[in-house]
Amino acid sequence: MSLLEVRDLTISFGSKKVVDCISFTLEKGARIGLIGESGSGKSMTSLAIMGLLPDTATISGSITFEGQELIGLSDREHSRLRGNRIGMVFQEPLTALNPLMRIGKQIAGPLMIHKGSSLKEGLKKALELCTKVGLPDPDRILRAYPHQLSGGQRQRIGLAIALACEPALLIADEPTTALDVTVQREVLNLINALVDKEGSSLIFVTHDLPVVSAMTENVAVMQLGKIVENASVASLFHEPAHEYSRRLISAARLAEDSFSGKGGQL
Amino acid sequence: MRKAMKGNVSLIAGSIMVSITFALLILSFIWTPYDPLAVNPEDSFAGVSMRHILGADKIGRDILSQIIVGSRVTLFVAALAVTVAMTLGVSAGILIAVASRRYQSPMIYAVNIALAFPAALLAIILAAVYGASTITAVTAIGLATAAAVAQVTRRTAHGILASDYVLAAHASGASTWRIIRKHVMPNLRASLLIQASAAVSVSVLAESSLSYLGLGTPPPAPSWGRMLAGSQQYLFVNPLLAIWPGIAIVIVVLGFNLVGDGVREVFDPTLRRSDS
Repeated sequence: MSLLEVRDLTISFGSKKVVDCISFTLEKGARIGLIGESGSGKSMTSLAIMGLLPDTATISGSITFEGQELIGLSDREHSRLRGNRIGMVFQEPLTALNPLMRIGKQIAGPLMIHKGSSLKEGLKKALELCTKVGLPDPDRILRAYPHQLSGGQRQRIGLAIALACEPALLIADEPTTALDVTVQREVLNLINALVDKEGSSLIFVTHDLPVVSAMTENVAVMQLGKIVENASVASLFHEPAHEYSRRLISAARLAEDSFSGKGGQL
Repeated sequence: MRKAMKGNVSLIAGSIMVSITFALLILSFIWTPYDPLAVNPEDSFAGVSMRHILGADKIGRDILSQIIVGSRVTLFVAALAVTVAMTLGVSAGILIAVASRRYQSPMIYAVNIALAFPAALLAIILAAVYGASTITAVTAIGLATAAAVAQVTRRTAHGILASDYVLAAHASGASTWRIIRKHVMPNLRASLLIQASAAVSVSVLAESSLSYLGLGTPPPAPSWGRMLAGSQQYLFVNPLLAIWPGIAIVIVVLGFNLVGDGVREVFDPTLRRSDS
């Protein structure tokens, strides 16, 4: 049985379909990249799996996770999976942290919600998690407020929160888009290493082809709410079947060429 | 506490003014120069002197004693009205913000209607039904202020609920109740403090005006608002009679406003100069 099976998922706001009948499956420990331009429905797909779509959205189709149907699940039942079996890392590491809560409490949050930990136990585990995500001086970090940390540090915190309960599935929604390019690489390597170590599955949402090729073996290319191509990274690069995939690849090549000085007029 | 005070001019000045008011309140139970209600015809309109430090009114009642005892009504009304306003307003505001879309708009309409209803009108109705008293004044002021508090709370809470960190908290499996406690309330705090300090000022002023209109504390119990009302007809002959209660009201109102402002600075970690 697959870990996650999305079948004919359709999400619409009024008469506008933002996700149009998409299907994909994810095995235990496998990784998939969702790539597409903004408005292609990739973030809506991940929110649908989390059960966090705005209440104005209508949703149909089926999402099964660990054999459980998620569509139509009550919010209370869904919240038992969130942060516990499914973790999520957000795009903006600053705004995704409560500005008035110390980091330690924020990392301890999911442990207190799902594992019944006391604050003290949660903070102890948070200390370990900080070390795990490669943060120096974890004691100081746990006592800090978000505005006292750098973007890269905050995103590591976001990762620590998402991984606190050792989820079976990690959803990373453009986790490096808001970061400096040099920090991006470090955070990507970290996600790679941690997902490997924990044996979690990964859904990596991005608009950046080179990034996704570094993270996952399979890519689903989305455009206007549809999956237009679902292929392995290697075959996508070598023989892209869809017009939009070809454009993504040539854009990525262009950037690469201009770096290596082979020209490439923009 | 000393660290919080350092360099925080609003907090220092505000605390001094609020302390003065509370000192008057405590003093009123221990000692007043005269019985504030004692009529003394030969002291009618006595000026500032050793005998009457702040003078005396038409029937010779000592002004200082009345100011001291008047602080009871003012602070009682302020405390009670603000408690009513904040409890009702904040819970209504948060409830509306987290309610599902279907129930939201009728509740917003209800708040807007309450908001359009002036405190004075409510006080007149209550006074007509139950007789004018401090309690009817408190109820009227509290309800009228609650609507304003609910309005501001709802909007602020709405913004907080739409933020990424609340989405992230949902993604961590937090329940609505936990999100209200851990995320909405702390981030509302700065706004609530300002609203509470503004509500103190509004209710002190409202109590004064209601007493002035005869809709608040009935005579003879001294209240700053009624002292103002009483001094009106002698304003040109004896302006000091209006100035003393006026100064008392200004000190309370300004003091609470400054404290609210100063405390907000203390609670906001991004405004804090040094850490932990």
